[in-house]
Amino acid sequence: MTRRSWLRSTRLALEVRQRIPPLHRAAFILGALIVGLAICVAILVGRGVGLASIYEEFIAFTFFKASGVSTVIVQSTPLVLAGLSASLAFRVNYWNIGIEGQLFMGVIGATLVAIFDVGPESIRLVLMLVAAIVLGAAWALPPALLKVRLNVSEVISTLLFSYIAFYFVLNQVYGPWQDPKDKFPHSEQYDAIERLPPIGWEQVHYGIVVALAAVAVVWWLVERSRFGIQSRFVGTSPRMALAIGLPVGAIVASSAVLSGGMAGAAGFVIATATEFRLTPAMAAGYGFSGIVIAFLAGNRPFATLIVACLMGGLYVAGESMKVFYSLPDALVGLIQAIVVLSVTASEFFVRYRLRLAHYRGA
Amino acid sequence: MWRKLCCVAAAALIAAGFAASAEAEAFKLKGDPKPAWIYFNVKNDGGWTQAIDEARIRMEKDLGYKIPFVEKVPEVASEITPAAERYIERGHNIIIGSAFGYSDAFKDLAARYPEVAFLNPAGTTNGPNLQSIYGRTYETQYLCGMVAGAISKSGKLGFVAANPFGLVNWTVNAYLIGARKMNPKAELTVIYTGAWNDPVKERAAAQALVEKGVDVIGQHVDTPTPQVVAQEAGIFGTGHHRDMREFAPKATACSSIWVWDQYMLPTLKSIASGSWEPAPYGAFVHVGGGADIACCGDMVPKDVAEKVMAERDAIIKGKHVFEGPIVDQSGKERVAAGATPSDGDLWGMDYLIQGVVGQLN
Repeated sequence: MTRRSWLRSTRLALEVRQRIPPLHRAAFILGALIVGLAICVAILVGRGVGLASIYEEFIAFTFFKASGVSTVIVQSTPLVLAGLSASLAFRVNYWNIGIEGQLFMGVIGATLVAIFDVGPESIRLVLMLVAAIVLGAAWALPPALLKVRLNVSEVISTLLFSYIAFYFVLNQVYGPWQDPKDKFPHSEQYDAIERLPPIGWEQVHYGIVVALAAVAVVWWLVERSRFGIQSRFVGTSPRMALAIGLPVGAIVASSAVLSGGMAGAAGFVIATATEFRLTPAMAAGYGFSGIVIAFLAGNRPFATLIVACLMGGLYVAGESMKVFYSLPDALVGLIQAIVVLSVTASEFFVRYRLRLAHYRGA
Repeated sequence: MWRKLCCVAAAALIAAGFAASAEAEAFKLKGDPKPAWIYFNVKNDGGWTQAIDEARIRMEKDLGYKIPFVEKVPEVASEITPAAERYIERGHNIIIGSAFGYSDAFKDLAARYPEVAFLNPAGTTNGPNLQSIYGRTYETQYLCGMVAGAISKSGKLGFVAANPFGLVNWTVNAYLIGARKMNPKAELTVIYTGAWNDPVKERAAAQALVEKGVDVIGQHVDTPTPQVVAQEAGIFGTGHHRDMREFAPKATACSSIWVWDQYMLPTLKSIASGSWEPAPYGAFVHVGGGADIACCGDMVPKDVAEKVMAERDAIIKGKHVFEGPIVDQSGKERVAAGATPSDGDLWGMDYLIQGVVGQLN
C-alpha cells in the first residue's frame, strides 16, 4: 500500500466517551497544564529569561517559599468565594455574569455597617459579613425573578445589574461616602475592629476561615442536602425536573440568590482583609475569574478550592515576572491566558476520544 | 477570636507608639540607594504613566544605574503590597509609586518596613519614611489657560475634566483665571466625564464642546482624546500630563506636563545623604519642581509665549494663582480680596468660579 492510499483510507474519528474515570480526567488536565506551561516557558526564554531563574523565581518562590505561599493564599481567598459563587449558579445552568456587581453590593453592605457603627463592636465583623451576604443576595434576586417569571435572559440582566452596582458605588464615593479626610473618591477607612485580623503567619488573615467554611457549607449543600440533589436534577434536565413536579423556578432562583450571597461574602473578605474601605477598583476581574474557576473545577466545591489556589498562584507568578523582569503587562496576561486556555481545552479530550479509523474500499 | 482581636488592637496601639517615637529621628538609608518603581498603568499609556516612565529613563542616565519598574499594578492593596515586597526582598530600599489608590497600601508598607523610603506621586499618605507628592497643577493649567485665552478668537473656551473633586476643580478654575488675564471676557464651558481614562466619553464631551462653538479645548483627563478632536475640528487645544503635540501637532498650543525627574533626582540625593525629611502633609510641587509647561505651538504669537514664560517666573518667585477675590458660580465670595487660599482649601476645592459654565455633579 502506498503512503498516499494509506492517507486516503484513514481518517480521524471523534468519539464521545461513555465513561470518564476520574484518574483519566486528572491525567488529561495535568497533560494540558504541562503543554501550556511549556509554551509559556518557550515564550519567556525567547524574551531572554533564563530557565534556571524561571524555576527559582516563579515556581519555587510562588509555591515553596513562605512569603510566596502566603501571598498566594491571600490572593486566592476571595477567588475561592468568587468561584463558589459562579459554581452555585452554573449548577442549575443559570449564567450569573453579574458576580462583580453582587460583590460590590456586598462591600456596600459591609461599609454601611462600618460607617454607621451598627451594633456592638464585639460582633461588628459578623454583622458586616451578614450585611455583605444579604446585600449580595438581594442584588442577585431581581434578575433571578425576571428569569423565572418572565424568562428574561440572565446573561443580560445580571451584566446590566453589575453596571448599576458600579455606578451606585461611584455615586457613593463621590457623594455621601466620600472620604472626609482626603476628599478622594473612596469611603473612609474601616476602624481596627472592622478589619479581619491576621492569623499570625505571614500576611494570611481570617478570610481563609471564611473561605474554608464556605467550601464546607457549599459541599454539604450540593453533595448531601435534598436541595443539592434537586438542583443537580434541574441542571441536568430542567424539562424532566419540571415534568416530575420539582419546583424548578424556586430552585433556580434560590441558586442564583445563594450565588449572589457568596459573591457578597467575597466582597466582605476583600474589603475587610486587604482594602479596609470601599474603592471603585476593588471588584475588577473577580467576576470573570470566578467563572473560569467554576468551569475548570466542574462546579465541585473542593475542586473549586484547588483551582482557585492555582489561579492565585498564576497571578502571583505573573506579578513576580513583571516585578523581576519588567516584562510588559500584556505578555504576562498572554502567559496566564495560555495556561488557562490549555487547561480549558483539555475538557475536549476528556469528553471525546480521537481515534484513527481505517476503512476499505473506494 | 475576639480575644485575638483585642491583642491585635493592642499591638496596633503599641506600633503606633513606636511610629510616633521614630518620627523624631531623621530617616537613614541603609546602603546605597536602590530605587524601584511601581506603575499603575502600562508604561506607554500616552499620559500620566508614560510621563513617569520618561522621567525614569532620564533619571537612569543621570544616576548611572538602572531603576526597575513593574507596570499595570492596579489600585488594590492585594496587588500593590506583594509587588513592593518582592522589590524589598531583592534589596531595593526606595519604592516609588504612581497613584492615589496606592496611598493606604504604601502607608502600611512604610510602617512595616521603616528602613525603606517610600515616595508616591498622586498619593495622600505621609509618614517618617513615606512622602506623597502632587503637583500644583493649577499653576501649569493657569499658564495654559493664558495661552488659550490669547489664541481664542471667540473668547469661548472648553474644558474636558475627569472627576469632580479638588485637584481637578482647581485646574478648571485656574484655566479660566489664566484665560481672563489675556482676555477678560473669556468664558469656559466644562464637561466632567466621571472617569480618568475613558476615550469614548472624552470624545463625546469634546465634540459637544466643538458644537457649542468653543475654539480652544483644555483638559484634565488621562488620554490625548480632547486634543485629537480639536485637531479634527480645526480648532486648538491644550494638553495635560505630557506634551500632546505628539498626538495633535497642529492643534496643541501648550501642555501642562509632569517632569518627575525635576523632583525625584534631588529627593533621591537627599535620601542618600540622610537629609530627607518628608513633609507631614504631602509635598506639593510648584511649576519647575516636578510640574511644568511645554510651550508653545507655532500658532502662539511670540509676545504671548514671552508673557506666559514671564508669568511662569513670577509663580516660581511666589505669585499665587488664586489670589482673592475669588467668587464662585453662585456669586459667593470664596477667597477675600488680597487673601490666598490655604493648601487645605485648595485640596478641598468643591466649587467652580464665576464664568465657568457647567456643573460639578
